[in-house]
Amino acid sequence: MTTLDEIEAAIPALRRYAQALLRDRAAADDLVQDCLERALARREGWRGEGSMRGWMFRILVNLHRDGLRRGARGPQLSVVGEGMAELARPGAQEGHMALREVQEAIARLPAEQREALLLVALEGMSLAEAAAVLGLAEGTLASRLGRARASLRAATGRDLPRQERPREEGTEQR
Amino acid sequence: MTERHPLTDPELIALRHGTPPEPARAALAARLGADAAGRATVAEWDRQDTALAALYGPIAAEPLPETLRTMLDRAAREDAAPRHRAALPKFARLAAAVLLLALGAAGGWTAARLTPGEGAAVPVALAAIRAHQTFAVEVAHPVEVAATEAEHLTRWLSKRLGHPIAAPDFASFGFALMGGRILPTETGAAAVFMYENATGQRITLYAAAGDGSAETAFRFVEAGATQGFWWIDGSLRYAVVGEVPREALRAIATVAWQQLT
Repeated sequence: MTTLDEIEAAIPALRRYAQALLRDRAAADDLVQDCLERALARREGWRGEGSMRGWMFRILVNLHRDGLRRGARGPQLSVVGEGMAELARPGAQEGHMALREVQEAIARLPAEQREALLLVALEGMSLAEAAAVLGLAEGTLASRLGRARASLRAATGRDLPRQERPREEGTEQR
Repeated sequence: MTERHPLTDPELIALRHGTPPEPARAALAARLGADAAGRATVAEWDRQDTALAALYGPIAAEPLPETLRTMLDRAAREDAAPRHRAALPKFARLAAAVLLLALGAAGGWTAARLTPGEGAAVPVALAAIRAHQTFAVEVAHPVEVAATEAEHLTRWLSKRLGHPIAAPDFASFGFALMGGRILPTETGAAAVFMYENATGQRITLYAAAGDGSAETAFRFVEAGATQGFWWIDGSLRYAVVGEVPREALRAIATVAWQQLT
């Protein structure tokens, strides 16, 4: 596989991750495009240390963090669930979570928990891989993941007996 | 290590996502066996992961967006270009083409999906597809001059095209040259080469004089089952079309571009 093939092979996962991270189709496409542009510009310097997937995710995460920093001054507009209406239809409650609930819970996570959780829960990365992408110690990542998992569980009402699932916002730890 | 206390979240995370060394991993697993709450937590995490996969998994199965495809094609052409001596002017021209392409992408007119009505936007691609669809099905007369008369073919097509051209060699893809023919275009004669592989699949390479348009990187077009890549290089416009998979076609077009330069 050439470097270019490896770059191309990483793109579908990057698109999936970006979409989950931003929940906005156009913004996710832009992020992946920026990531690819940077990866292509730097591909001559790629020495094959670590995985290409990890390298490209690192680029994407850094671009995303830059974007958050730039956007931090003004009000944050985030479109939740655009283009996802079909998938997020509630139904099949037993044994499955309502997808819309999960989506909204992910959206409410702090940015650093969201980027960490999606790497392992959606992309299937190991702690070591994800820690390298995020530039964190594994222990830091593990506790961040624990908090993200717990928030998600609380937000989807799963930490309470099934018969009474509270619907009010803000009753859990925020 | 027969501790009975429930696993903490970081321990569960390490067990699920980490790679703890063996004695430790087995100990964690044993404790989880005795920890109903821990198992319920893990089951809950499974449901979380399933939900995420259902929400976002389909995106990874989508075909690559055209913008990204174009960027990769451009990079592939850069990699394919010779990197020494005469390469420099070529690179400068390529840079200009890349800039134009970027402007084009910004304007939202990347790869055209050809329907007859939109043909005017990409005449060379449309002409190549028409030529291919007309002659690829020919049993008796797919070409005017057969490849056996290679020297005559080259001289004749170069003369009529007004530009030296030799048929690229696609043998590495299993396609052998059948021969060529001349077709009329609005800018003069076009040279058409046809190739065939062992299974009888045919591809067409089309070259016509330019119409003054600037150089481009590869552009993808499709019309029904026929797909093609077209590009403008120097004073000629080229297209490679056929019913072969797009990846294969791109590789063939890249080789054509290298050999025709």
